[in-house]
Amino acid sequence: MRAIGKGSLASILAMGLHVTRIILLIALFGLGAAIILMPFVPFIIDIFRDSEDVRISGGADLSDFIEVTHGFVSIAVMLFVVNRLLEILKTLRFGSPFVRENAERFRSVGYALLIGEGAKFAFGFLSIIFDADVSINSSMITWIAIVAVFVLAEVFHEGARMKEEQDLTV
Amino acid sequence: MSISVKLDRVLLDRGMSLTELSERVGVTIANLSILKTGKAKAIRFSTLEAICKELDCQPGDILFFDEEGA
Repeated sequence: MRAIGKGSLASILAMGLHVTRIILLIALFGLGAAIILMPFVPFIIDIFRDSEDVRISGGADLSDFIEVTHGFVSIAVMLFVVNRLLEILKTLRFGSPFVRENAERFRSVGYALLIGEGAKFAFGFLSIIFDADVSINSSMITWIAIVAVFVLAEVFHEGARMKEEQDLTV
Repeated sequence: MSISVKLDRVLLDRGMSLTELSERVGVTIANLSILKTGKAKAIRFSTLEAICKELDCQPGDILFFDEEGA
């Protein structure tokens, strides 16, 4: 399989990431709207209460708010990572990937994943207090992946340095 | 960098242009410009050999160690 160009793994990955990005954007806007509208749920229920055509049961409490906010943060982190990966793939398709910017991008992906895991623990802790349904478990493979991303960032940093030196070797 | 390149001086002494040297040694003008302006981080022995051969000089005529820059 070719490394770059049409039908290459990079272009297939980019296509997949573009689709993922759109899905994540829709989900992010949906959850964002849900977070904004959640405090107004009792008023919305009151409006439709008198209507015979609409039946509403239940409402939104703090545990729902925690679950939705957790989803929003998780998707925001995923969207950030997908965007950085798309930028990295762009440099691969339109030139050399061994640039300092890509090392920074990989590092930011690592920090984003760390924030995502930290948020998972924070929301998990809140879910225990407010009886929400947020899983607190974190797998070992996730932490190894985070370390791998930081290692990759260092490899790209060194690769960029070597490329600069190579370009300035006469 | 503490190593300075005096290629322009040697070229002037020999009455040769950078374009002519580029054609003779088979190194692009862009790369020779990098060398001449002191932006180069490294020089291959093969490039140095070709330059010295064409300019009939020693590596020490082109490269200088500047203690103040070290």
